This record gives sequence, C-alpha cells and structure tokens, in this order.
Amino acid sequence: MRRGMTLFRTIVVATALAAAVPAMAQQTRDGLNPTGQNPTADSVTEEFLFKQEPKIGGRVSIPDGKSANLIQPQGREYQAFREGWLPWIGGIAVLGILGLLTAFFLLRGRIALDDPGPDTGKKILRFNSFERFAHWMTATCFIILSLSGLNYIFGKRLLMPLIGPEAFGTLSQWAKYSHLYLAWPFMLGIAIMLIVWLKDNIPEKLDWEWIKAGGGLIGRGHPHAKRFNAGQKVVFWMVVGFGAAMSVTGVVMMFPFAVTDINGMQVTQVIHSLIGVVFIAGILAHIYIGSIGMEGAYDAMGSGKVDLGWAKSHHDLWVEEQQAKNASVAQLGTRQVPAE
Amino acid sequence: MKVFVMSVAAAVALAVAASFLLNENQKFAYEAFATSGARVSEPGTNLVGPKWNGETTEPSGKKHGA
Amino acid sequence: MARMKFLCDADRCIECNACVTACKNEHEVPWGINRRRVVTLNDGKPGERSVSMACMHCTDAPCAAVCPVNCFYTTADAVVLHSKDICIGCGYCFYACPFGAPQYPKVGNFGSRGKMDKCTYCAGGPEADFSTIEYEKYGSNRLAEGKLPLCAEMCSTKALLAGDGEMIAQIYKERVVKRGYGSGAWGWKTAYRETIAI
Repeated sequence: MRRGMTLFRTIVVATALAAAVPAMAQQTRDGLNPTGQNPTADSVTEEFLFKQEPKIGGRVSIPDGKSANLIQPQGREYQAFREGWLPWIGGIAVLGILGLLTAFFLLRGRIALDDPGPDTGKKILRFNSFERFAHWMTATCFIILSLSGLNYIFGKRLLMPLIGPEAFGTLSQWAKYSHLYLAWPFMLGIAIMLIVWLKDNIPEKLDWEWIKAGGGLIGRGHPHAKRFNAGQKVVFWMVVGFGAAMSVTGVVMMFPFAVTDINGMQVTQVIHSLIGVVFIAGILAHIYIGSIGMEGAYDAMGSGKVDLGWAKSHHDLWVEEQQAKNASVAQLGTRQVPAE
Repeated sequence: MKVFVMSVAAAVALAVAASFLLNENQKFAYEAFATSGARVSEPGTNLVGPKWNGETTEPSGKKHGA
Repeated sequence: MARMKFLCDADRCIECNACVTACKNEHEVPWGINRRRVVTLNDGKPGERSVSMACMHCTDAPCAAVCPVNCFYTTADAVVLHSKDICIGCGYCFYACPFGAPQYPKVGNFGSRGKMDKCTYCAGGPEADFSTIEYEKYGSNRLAEGKLPLCAEMCSTKALLAGDGEMIAQIYKERVVKRGYGSGAWGWKTAYRETIAI
C-alpha cells in the first residue's frame, strides 16, 4: 500500500514536470513569462484605477496623508475653473453691476428728498453708535477683503504688468495677510449685525407690498415701511447668508486639509470665489444706494441721525413707532438721548 | 466719524490678535509630519534651515552634524 | 531643446526609496518636505505596484496657471520652476497639482505657510546658476552642469527615467516590447496630455 502510494506520487510529479517542460522552454523567448501568464493582465494600470476611483492613491511611508495621493486629475478641472471661468464670472459680476448702477443713475438720477414737509430739518436717530460701529467694522473689513480677494483673480492680470513681479509679490503677500486676519473682525461684525438687526429684518406681508409698489426706486411714491424696507432686508439677508457662507468656506481654507481632502479644498475654493464675486457685486449696489443713489440715506450710517422728513417718507411706520416710544419715555421723565 | 475711526481701530486690533493666535497654532512641516522613528539629526536643522533662509540655528540651536 | 519629462516604470520600481533619499540629500530638503515620494498601490495585495512621483513638469502646468502671482516659469527644457521671492504661499498650486508636488514649510493656517517648495528637476531656480542663494532656496542645479536629476540617476532598478520625453518614451517602449508587458507611463496623460502607446 505504502509502495503503491509512493509510485502514485512519483507519477503525479513526473506528469507535472512533463507538463512544465514546454513552459520552461518558453522562458528563453522574449516577451513571455515562464508561467505562460501575461503579468500586464494582473498588474494595475492607471486606466483601470481611474475606472474605479476618480483619483489614484496608495500608501506612503511619509506621515503626511496628502502625499499618498498619486494622481488627482481634478487639478486640471480646478485649473480650468480658476483660469477659464472665474475671471469671466468675476469680471462680468463686478463690471456688470457697475454698468447697471451707472445706467440706473443716468436714468433715475439721484433719488431726491422730493417732498420737503414741515419736518425737514429736524433729525431723528436711526442707528446708534454701536450699530454704526458694527456696520463700519464689517464694511472696512469687507472692502479690504474684497480687494485682496479680487487680487487673487485679477491681480496678475491687471496690477502685475503695472508694478512688476517683485512689487506685486510683496503686495500680494500683504494682501494675503490682510485677507486672512481681517476675516476675523469681519466675521465678528456679521455676527453682531445679525443679532442687532435680526428682529427688524423678519420678512412680512408689508415687504411684498413694498416690492409691488416698486419700493420708491422705480415709482415716485414711497410705500409704507418699518425700520427696514424689503430692499434693505434683502441686503441684510444677503450679507448674513453670504457672510456665513464665506466664513465657513474661508475657515475651511484657512486650515488646509483640516476638515476635507484635496477635492474638498478645490470645491471650497470654487464656492468661496463664486460667492465672493456675487457678494462684491451685491455690496456695490448697497454702497450705491446708501451714498450717491439716494439723498439723505448716507446720514443714517454717517452721523446716525437722519432727516425727519426723509425718515417719514421712507420709513413712515418706523418713525411712528419711534415717536410713540419716545413719547412714552418722555412721560416717564427720561427723554431718550441719542448716543452721540 | 469717531465711530468710524473706532471701528477701523477695532478691526485692526482684532486682526492683529487673530494673527498672533493663528501663528501660535502654526506648525512647521517637520513637526507635523514627524514620527517617533529613528532620527540622525534634529528635524528642521540642515543647510537651508526650517525657514528656508539659510538660518540653521532654529529650533534647537544644534548645528547639522554637530 | 529637449522636452524634459519623468517616467516611472512601475513594473521595475521596488519601493526602495533611493530616489527620495537622493533628492533629500542632494538638495538638503528639510524634514517634512518631500519633493519626491514613492506611492505603493494595492499594498500587500496581488498586483502591487509602486510609483515614484514628484513634479511632472506638466505641459500647460496647472500650478503655473492658477498661481495668483505668476511666480512660475517654464525653462527652455520645459522644466517648470518657480520664484520663491514672488511666491506668497497661498497653496493654490497644491490644489491644482494633479501629483501633489508643491510643499510648504508650515502646514497650519493658510496665511503664513512660507514659500512653496517643489521638485526643480535638479534645475535650481531663477537665481544665478551655482550661486549659494540658488542652492539655499532651490537646491543644486545639476541640469546646468549637464547632468540629469539625481533621483533617476540613483534609481537602483532604473525604474525612474528622466530626460528628453521622446528618448525616455523610446527606452520604455523597448523595455515593454522586450519583456512583453508594462503598466504604462503613470501620470503622463494628466501631465502631458499624451501617453505612450504600448
């Protein structure tokens, strides 16, 4: 039995060897593997891996997770967006709104204090000093942030040819510092403004009537409005909404790869830049209507006190409310004193 | 105007404070991407130095190969 | 002039990291910064392959395109270099780079990450060739000495090829024909928008 088993084993081995001989003979021939297999069929190729995942990654001995990414072709897409689309989108947004505002100014002109009533000349406090402080802190930060932000897109195209690469590099370095650090007071300002003005900015039925009446921008009359009309509410919610979006994406970018991977960083950058240019366009319109676009509007944020006649025509319900409040306070003997 | 100047001053002050706080948490690549593996020299000390300006004294003061 | 490229023959790369070490030593690259690295795909599984990767010196380089301060330039040999004097360390090149080549001395906040560093194809930078300042900022300039990048020169299995694109493609093609298989030129499609037909 034992001998039979040994014989059987010998036959098996001999057969196996006999079968292997032709394969071994092939070893000398170029281009063929001894086992007769094609190693290319087994090995990973770029094409195959890209069919499974949009990017190729593996393992590295470096304690930096990012370096385990071998190829991420999404970088090309990011390049196409940043250099192909973004300059056009940004340029059209900023120049477009400037063009629209110029056209509006030429057609409508400065919205004047058209009915100098008996109250014109008297002043009423519209924004107290804390409100103005929050507004101007956010506003100055916004201007620097938008200029340094636009510098990332347009600086090399517009400014660099004028001042040369070295000067532009230094300027951009400082612009980058300002963008990063002024983002914090900006975020604080947005938060303060949200808290201070939220109660006056809840949308209501009156806003719809204000919009239907053309808001005093298109028509001649002044629809009823409380402290903030529908247009101002739109600006408020735009600032709060875009401000929050810019803050979130900005903080994500400020700490690269802390919360997301390379593709996440690219998407964050795309969102930040797109909202940024639209935000700038929106704020340009806000600056227009708050300064040259309307007579008497700047005082609200300038000195905080507006002309009573202006207030009665633009924010009639708010004036009534304030006067009723002041009257009740006056009865108590402590007349409300403007903060400044 | 007074409020405006104050707001600008506050913005600058907050920005400076933010810059200090952020730079406090700034890490060099040799600190962030280091393991407890064997080391032949202090990380960050070599010819160019951690700041890439040729200053090799930081962070430990040891010279390369010393 | 030649069109310089890198090609890593993944069927030859044995993940010895000699290229990484050679690069580190040649340019005195600080800790934590890796101009070249070896990535192992399917580690420990059948079909494992290692690929040595650094800056590929792309055609229409994404890093150069997205740079907000245009600190990149391409040499006559099609090597993509940058100026650390102009660089603001914003990190956009890292987002755009398909190969993860740009590195920064600091990793924390975006504001002060220092000047970007990447593979120079051993070609130094904008400073005068062989000057100390060039070495301190960008490492040695072997190309100006008529030598090829040290990583490829040091490759123990000659998996990593550096040189004129057409020449290294020819070498690779001959290899593939001779041995009968090849996993392709990794990254070439993304970097040069062409690949080697095998």
